[in-house]
Amino acid sequence: MATVPETIPYGEVRRDLWRPLSGASSRYLITLLLLSSVAFWGLCAWGYQLYKGIGVAGIHRPVFWGFYLVNFVFWIGISHAGTLISAILRLTDANWRKPVTRAAEAITVFALMIGGMFPIIHLGRAWLFYWLFPYPNSRLLWPNFRSPLLWDVTAISTYLTGSTIYLFLPLIPDIAQLKEHATGWRRRLYGALSLGWTGSDRQWHALERAMKLMAAIILAVAVSVHTVVAWDFSMSIAPMWHSSIFGPYFVVGAIFSGIAALIIVMAIIRKAMHLEQYLTAHHFKNLAKLLLLMSLLWLYFTVAENLTAWYGNEPKEMIVFGSRVRGGFAPYFWVMVFCNFVVPFVLLGIKRLRTIRTAIIASITVIIGMWLERFLIIIPTLSFGRLPAAWGNYAPSWVEISISIATFAGMGVLYMLFAKLFPIVSVWEFEPHVGPED
Amino acid sequence: MNDTNQTPHRWGMAIDLDRCTGCQACVAACHAENNLPVSDPASAAKGRAVHWIRVDRYYEGEFPNVRVKYMPVLCQQCDEAPCEPVCPVYATYKNPEGLNVQVYNRCVGTRYCANNCPYSVRFFNWFDPVWAAPLGLQHNPDVSIRMGGVMEKCTFCIQRIKRAETEAKNEKRRVADGEVQPACVQSCPAEAMVFGDLNDPESKVSRMAGSGRSTRLLEELGTQPKVFYLQRAT
Amino acid sequence: MDRRNFFKIVSTVSAGVASSACGTKRDALIPLLVPDHEILPGVEEWHPGVCTECGAGCGVIARVMAGERIIERNGEKFRERIACVKKLEGNPLDPVSGGRLCARGHAVLQSLYNPDRISQPMRRAGDRGKGGFSPISWDEAIASVADKLAKAHASDPSKILFLTSPQAGSRSVAIQHFLQSLGAPAAQTCSLADFALERKAAASVFGWKGLPRYDLGNARYALGVGADFLGGWASPVYYARQFGQFRQARPGIRGKLVQAESRMSITAGSADEWLPVRPGSEPHLIVAIARVLLDEKLARNVDQVPGSVRDAVLAANLGDLIRASGIEERRLRRVARELGESDAPLVIAGASTVHTNSFDALVLAHYLNLMLGNIGRPGGVLPPNASAEGPEAANVPEALKRAQILLLDDANPLYTLPSASRVTGALARLDTIVSFGMFVDDSVAYADLILPSPHPLESGAAIVPTVSPLPVSINIATPFVQPLYNTRPIEQTLDAIARKMNIKLEGVSAQSFVQPFLPPELTWDEAARQGGVWHDDNVAAAPVKPLANKVEWNNPVFDGAPEQFPLYFQPYLSLQYHDGRGANLPWMQELPDPVSSAMWDLPVEIDPQTAARLHVETGDWVRVESPHGSLDATAYVHPAALPGVVSMAIGEGHRHYGRYASNRGANPLSVISPVWETSAGALAFGATRVKVARLERAPGLIQFSPNDREQGPWGYR
Ligand SMILES: Nc1nc2c(c(=O)[nH]1)N[C@H]1C(S)=C(S)[C@@H](COP(=O)(O)OP(=O)(O)OC[C@H]3O[C@@H](n4cnc5c(=O)[nH]c(N)nc54)[C@H](O)[C@@H]3O)O[C@H]1N2
Ligand SMILES: Nc1nc2c(c(=O)[nH]1)N[C@H]1C(S)=C(S)[C@@H](COP(=O)(O)OP(=O)(O)OC[C@H]3O[C@@H](n4cnc5c(=O)[nH]c(N)nc54)[C@H](O)[C@@H]3O)O[C@H]1N2
Ligand code: SF4
Ligand code: SF4
Ligand code: SF4
Ligand code: SF4
Ligand code: SF4
Repeated sequence: MATVPETIPYGEVRRDLWRPLSGASSRYLITLLLLSSVAFWGLCAWGYQLYKGIGVAGIHRPVFWGFYLVNFVFWIGISHAGTLISAILRLTDANWRKPVTRAAEAITVFALMIGGMFPIIHLGRAWLFYWLFPYPNSRLLWPNFRSPLLWDVTAISTYLTGSTIYLFLPLIPDIAQLKEHATGWRRRLYGALSLGWTGSDRQWHALERAMKLMAAIILAVAVSVHTVVAWDFSMSIAPMWHSSIFGPYFVVGAIFSGIAALIIVMAIIRKAMHLEQYLTAHHFKNLAKLLLLMSLLWLYFTVAENLTAWYGNEPKEMIVFGSRVRGGFAPYFWVMVFCNFVVPFVLLGIKRLRTIRTAIIASITVIIGMWLERFLIIIPTLSFGRLPAAWGNYAPSWVEISISIATFAGMGVLYMLFAKLFPIVSVWEFEPHVGPED
Repeated sequence: MNDTNQTPHRWGMAIDLDRCTGCQACVAACHAENNLPVSDPASAAKGRAVHWIRVDRYYEGEFPNVRVKYMPVLCQQCDEAPCEPVCPVYATYKNPEGLNVQVYNRCVGTRYCANNCPYSVRFFNWFDPVWAAPLGLQHNPDVSIRMGGVMEKCTFCIQRIKRAETEAKNEKRRVADGEVQPACVQSCPAEAMVFGDLNDPESKVSRMAGSGRSTRLLEELGTQPKVFYLQRAT
Repeated sequence: MDRRNFFKIVSTVSAGVASSACGTKRDALIPLLVPDHEILPGVEEWHPGVCTECGAGCGVIARVMAGERIIERNGEKFRERIACVKKLEGNPLDPVSGGRLCARGHAVLQSLYNPDRISQPMRRAGDRGKGGFSPISWDEAIASVADKLAKAHASDPSKILFLTSPQAGSRSVAIQHFLQSLGAPAAQTCSLADFALERKAAASVFGWKGLPRYDLGNARYALGVGADFLGGWASPVYYARQFGQFRQARPGIRGKLVQAESRMSITAGSADEWLPVRPGSEPHLIVAIARVLLDEKLARNVDQVPGSVRDAVLAANLGDLIRASGIEERRLRRVARELGESDAPLVIAGASTVHTNSFDALVLAHYLNLMLGNIGRPGGVLPPNASAEGPEAANVPEALKRAQILLLDDANPLYTLPSASRVTGALARLDTIVSFGMFVDDSVAYADLILPSPHPLESGAAIVPTVSPLPVSINIATPFVQPLYNTRPIEQTLDAIARKMNIKLEGVSAQSFVQPFLPPELTWDEAARQGGVWHDDNVAAAPVKPLANKVEWNNPVFDGAPEQFPLYFQPYLSLQYHDGRGANLPWMQELPDPVSSAMWDLPVEIDPQTAARLHVETGDWVRVESPHGSLDATAYVHPAALPGVVSMAIGEGHRHYGRYASNRGANPLSVISPVWETSAGALAFGATRVKVARLERAPGLIQFSPNDREQGPWGYR
């Protein structure tokens, strides 16, 4: 079936999608103010930590990694929303993707920016973060490429560059159109960003090729990035970390949480910008099906991970396993299972129940569940090391909590600003017979 | 003869658990020698007390058939140290004598090494250390004070090793067995700890390492520790 | 002795020759006192001294190097280069420490450089007990003390009470002379660690003066009874060294240790076998074993045992004794047999926790050793150190009641005596309290005047170790760093006071103390440089024939009605704090407790059954209530505690003792009943029954290793 927007005249489409760019409702401003003050609070907390020392966080021996690393893995996961989905859909030329892709790609870029900050926030001497980059220095000091953290640095910076380009390319034609109608600073801005786009056949061809190419590349990068993140853990010899399944397990989890994030964002945009005609139940249903699929995949991996550990019955692993399924971490574990499997399976598995609203509910629980999953992967293993005399627990401090919450607000701020500057749904893709004749 | 054109030293330690009384003199000695930061009740409660060597104690069985096991645990100076490859800036690495050394100036504080040390002997400076004056007058000038944000751990008292090696070199001789004594070893009243060169088959530590009671902690991980534990005879 | 230490010490003995011999460049000839301006940066010097953290009196060597302190002169701050003590190690020449130290020994540095040290003479400002003081000059201080003492001297010198540490040596003799010239009663110790009972038992059985020495290193089979000799008892470093030798130093020989104690001390933990005897049943256990030895003809030396003693033992009812001890018969008989059949058996008896009948156990133990024929033999019980006579112990509260003037030196009655003995009141009503100490502790807070001494590492002293393998053993400390503060050695202060009072005083110095013990070939300077005098020349062999011939084994008496106070309360000397004096040392506060792994606190140790009954878990707050008071502390559920026996280490719970110890934790001695055992007048601090109740407060125990089991809480194996 044809997706709705095709039935709407292009002029109207453009009006609808450009409307949010001009002016700003008081609701918009208040939300923006609220979110940015929360984000600012987070920045203050970080400043305090830099000034006082990393000790103001709740981490300690033996739990040397805490909320910061949980958030890191979580946000990098979220970042898989965009690129992966839009890339897959682009490559498979799924027609219904058109209204979805840009929103998704934007999530990727911002989630990466946020996720990428956490390893730095986490450092004992954050101001020296640049030592992790291979740069020429008078002491001829190089970083250690055997360290998975170095792979992270490499992978994430590649991914960020890639996905930024990937977001930008399909923006060019829209920006060019906007330039025609904009005035003042906006005109100058769009002018600069449109890179002299005239819409000539050559340009269209180049763009099409570039987008296809980037889609292919970005897919590979995205998969590798979260595999590398997984290797931060599985390359070590800590009980329950040293597992070959972590790579794919993390990728699946990432896409899973990514889709959930996308559904939520789309729902918000839809309401806030009155794009009901463009982001229709059809899109949500399709994404919901994807989410359901990922939920099942996630369950498969989770079972595979824990069953093998339990069956292997290696004492040190069993301690960590036990702490998750029946020990102190059990409540989080079972909530996670409920959020990541039970809810999506029931709400989205039963056809009657699969609606926009249930899709949103499921997505929210999945976001919670996936955050818990990252938490449950990192903390219990560190709490129950190999020598029982060194066991210990972990409780986050207000600083860690503040910063964690602030990053969600930060995501909102970035997104709202983006949506104010650029059409959050690609406009030109609805234009009849744009692009090269063939 | 000159120390340099000889097979390099391979420093190791043997701890006879049949002698160890769990008295913790070694723990205090290490504090005195290596300028270890002293925390306060609040941070100690947070799990931030620093003991480069600790005496693990485990109770076994139930009363009246209960017994307790003491085991001093310090950096095992693993030949295949899991803490080393994960450090992104080479702040912890293997020196030519097989010691796992820590370069404080270089450490950026990722704490990855600590996660990957199966013996949990790495300690982090969560803040800059403070000593109420004049406690600082006691500080050992041969050992640097560690700033906040960096990792630290047992060094096998490398400052003592270096001093002995320099002296031996000046006197054109090889370091004699028992000449280097880390502070913990030096202090141990029960003489449970022995330190020496594992490359010298005649050294006391080599002979103890070869004893029938000799085992290594978490050996199964393939970390190749250079600390040997002689199990209790009962 | 290991090579490194050998060089170190030789160079301090006769450096010129030695250093060229061993080729260590860094050791110059050491002047006894290093002027700060002569200190070379980075050049280390090692000086002999003595550790005074406990009576063992280990000889130490101190590493002295340059340091910088910020000083303020008329408002202006500037840096001053001074000689600092960087590290202590045992003096390898000293037969007691043999080059080793215990944890407290290392931490002595933190009393030297403790931020709470008293920096000059002080007069009380504000009420007694508040701990407020204002500076005065030495002249004022000495004048006012002299004045007070003169009055007392004129009226009734017996009203002068001097409380000091049990340490024998030049310091105690100086004090003795001072009191004699005043006509005042001799100084009294006020410490749980004076081992008065052990001394008394040795005196009454063999006529020995001082603590007998147990030659563990040469024994094959040792039975420890009530003495935590690897922890807080007598001479931890010495006995730990002996233990090492006992276990693994002799080719083909491994000593077996069986430890009978009513808590699992580190000695019991290190033993091959632990006999969890009921509190106060040590005498019964010993008699039972003696009885088995006699029955089974294993008392190889029975003919030396006085008939009366033998008959008394034979008359005993073995069944009752075994039941009293709480050890199953099969096990007890086996141990007795192993002991009797060993070719080097040894019984080490002590009273780490004093009960009303502890003296009986100690006397019986001597006879048991006599039966085994090891008195005066290698691997047996050896006579004490010559001249090891310290100040006498006596019932301090009684003395306090009579006294008008109290002089305090290294004694803290307010902490070490049960509150129920009304010490606080007694101190409050005294005319004058003078302290010669380095810190404001619980008792000094009540002082009117403080005439501070320098730290032992800053002053000279001759100390007689409580136990030593050599009959003549004196460790010598000579000052080698400038005192940090405006302090004066007590010998000097007492001398000044005497002069002010125009009374003749026979001065005492380390040198005058040591002189009579110097062998011909050794000069004082050499002795001072090597840090002591140790030999067995011309020492008459001490008698091994028993004087007394009476043994008894009374049942222990406990204060508190069993139905109301069902649990035995057993305070004990802690490894970190000894009798409490170590509590102001941050290193010791942070040293994990060997039992509970507690830091900055000491928990009440409760056995699992009792804990379950009281719904108490590790970390919970509990109230320990005795007939004479109550304390609140955190609990540690001790897997190896005897059911119904609640133990608590001594050390925390100071009202005043600097920033690290003040108002931290609880003092077990504060709730014990004022019960004094009769033979030596020692405080029976194990003679109290208590009840324990859980408090509704957030758990608060700070532990380094909270988990004390090797398998996880889920018990996967
Ligand atoms: N108090 C004191 N002062 C001294 C000395 C002393 O012993 N004590 N020694 C003197 C001597 S001999 C010397 S050589 C100088 C040395 O003085 P510095 O050159 O200051 O030597 P460091 O302080 O060891 O290192 C300088 C900085 O390099 C940083 N660093 C480490 N790795 C890297 C990296 O990969 N990239 C970058 N950009 N920085 C890195 C460290 O964190 C440190 O802050 O100090 C002199 N001053
Ligand atoms: N962990 C760590 N190790 C380092 C460095 C670091 O930054 N971190 N820095 C490296 C660098 S750059 C350097 S230069 C070296 C420096 O290392 P070293 O050359 O060992 O420098 P120091 O240890 O400061 O001084 C050596 C000895 O000289 C003594 N000394 C001081 N003044 C005098 C004197 O007047 N005469 C004599 N005879 N001796 C004196 C000092 O007390 C010390 O015992 O350390 C290197 N090693
Ligand atoms: S000092 Fe020696 S005996 Fe004491 S705990 Fe350490 S190793 Fe064991
Ligand atoms: S014990 Fe731990 S810190 Fe030491 S070398 Fe091995 S892994 Fe590294
Ligand atoms: S904490 Fe320091 S030493 Fe450890 S891995 Fe990170 S940078 Fe390397
Ligand atoms: S070898 Fe040195 S650094 Fe290591 S534990 Fe012993 S005293 Fe501490
Ligand atoms: S045993 Fe006593 S005297 Fe010896 S080092 Fe320890 S505290 Fe000092």
